[in-house]
Amino acid sequence: MAVVSSHQLAQCISCHAWNADLSMVAVCPNNNEVHIYKALSFTDSIWDRVHVLRKHDQLVSSIDWAPESNYIVTASHDRNSYVWNLEQDEWQPTLVILRLNRAAISVKWSPKENKFAVASGAKSICVCYYEQDNNWWVSKIIRKKHNSTVTNISWHPNNVLLATTSTDCKCRVFSAYIKGVDARTDAETAFGEVKFGEQLMQLDLAMGWAFGVKWSPSGKTLTYVGHDSTIHFIGDVGPSPIAQTLALRDLPLRDVLFLSERRIVAAGFDCNPILFEADNQGTWNLIRFLDEGKLPPAETKTGTQFLEAFGKFHGQAKHGNNIEIVESSNISNTHHENCITSLRPPSKLGDDAHKILPSKEPPCSKVSSSSKFQLQRMIAPLLSRGDKEVHYFSTSGLDGKIIIWDVSNISEFVSRLRL
Amino acid sequence: MANTLRPYLTCIRNTLTAAMCLQNFPCQEVERHNKPEVEFKTSPELLLNPVLICRNEAEKCLIETSINSLRISIKVKQADELENILAKKFLRFLSMRAESFEVLRRKPVQGYDISFLITNYHCEEMNKSKLIDFIVQFMEDIDKEISELKLSVNTRGRLVATEFFKQFT
Repeated sequence: MAVVSSHQLAQCISCHAWNADLSMVAVCPNNNEVHIYKALSFTDSIWDRVHVLRKHDQLVSSIDWAPESNYIVTASHDRNSYVWNLEQDEWQPTLVILRLNRAAISVKWSPKENKFAVASGAKSICVCYYEQDNNWWVSKIIRKKHNSTVTNISWHPNNVLLATTSTDCKCRVFSAYIKGVDARTDAETAFGEVKFGEQLMQLDLAMGWAFGVKWSPSGKTLTYVGHDSTIHFIGDVGPSPIAQTLALRDLPLRDVLFLSERRIVAAGFDCNPILFEADNQGTWNLIRFLDEGKLPPAETKTGTQFLEAFGKFHGQAKHGNNIEIVESSNISNTHHENCITSLRPPSKLGDDAHKILPSKEPPCSKVSSSSKFQLQRMIAPLLSRGDKEVHYFSTSGLDGKIIIWDVSNISEFVSRLRL
Repeated sequence: MANTLRPYLTCIRNTLTAAMCLQNFPCQEVERHNKPEVEFKTSPELLLNPVLICRNEAEKCLIETSINSLRISIKVKQADELENILAKKFLRFLSMRAESFEVLRRKPVQGYDISFLITNYHCEEMNKSKLIDFIVQFMEDIDKEISELKLSVNTRGRLVATEFFKQFT
């Protein structure tokens, strides 16, 4: 529940991604370059920039780093996408034939890393796979299903289903099964046998633009956020899903992340990550804001209990409540000073998490497997037992900071809250 | 007067806080373009409902929001002809120097005296709360400024008149 470390890497960060062992982080400093930093473990370390990837000519909107193959895929507003491969200490780009005529907005590797999906402003999604003969990545496009820009995508753990959110306020689930790339048995999903590009589900829960979609680690639950400051949870994704919507009183959210099957962290324009949890009946509730703020000024600390309580409420009150003093600006005392745009789970990737994080606690999993595919399957049962889960995650925002959060003691806190 | 100004400005401040949730958004219509959607209005789904905040008939504020930009148009109080002229001249003076204000629009929206255009780039470069402070401060000051100008015009008028009539005494 605390901030482990905060790193100011640029004036503004549009996206970031970690490699498998968390020794490197790829960051886009809100321009056409991607910077790769060597992340060091201790708290106040200064990260070194080791590589700069220059190939795009407009803003890089999304980065994803495949943990097993160690490929980086980038998407940019210049309509292109590149797959980067590390060869003799140099990152070499491979061409991706996207065939898009508008900006690429978001990119994600599939769990098996044999495909990736690109969301675009052309109201379509590209599913790309590697073609050995020509040494490039070719794409199959899902067209005419969205009425506006696709803002985010997420792969189901089965490597076939693809969830998308769009600025037409809807969330959809598609099949991204590609014959010849995926095994024939993969086509069998919760929705029955699927063909490429089939729209399997359309959710119309949000009244505003939809952003930040994610599948739970098991793929049973889907969650996304709306610009009308709502978060939606869809359980039992399949022929008969169950939906739940939570409306918040604060500014809209931008991205979500599953800590475990029953815990979610979401963050956005409030600059403060929020924790949600499902109870035994599967009803989702807001538990708390994770950012307790920077240390309060000294006088509040030494003050009476009343003052302390006051200070707490004051800190929690968002920009709205101290409006009486119109002249003074309400500088938020959260760690992020501008909208949080992306949430990443460093420790989801497993064993090596402690390399970057001050190791107080053992990382979430003892599995030392080289394959993420295997790893995920092995984490999943650990997660369902309820005890082991993501202990750390990172956020990046428009204020140019990457912040690593420690949520290892969250269970303890939540149980205290219940008493 | 001050006690009706306060809730008016507070309302504007809160509306701006909620409305200023902007993000980078490339154009859907033209490739490799990125422009404020609130100005072009090419895709209706990217626009939010405009909010009109009125203090009275003469003074109002229109806040139009889109996914990557926000337009604030202000109509300032003009009680008489003199205030009308003063407001027009003063705001024209400011609009002509729009680029040094960053967020000021060169031309006000039809029916308003002055407009601001805030894009996601401004939100990335500047602190959001400071940006809102600037707008609210500006609205507070503009009234004061015009009252002061009016006073000084009146004083000067009186002075000139007295000087002029001296020759007949």
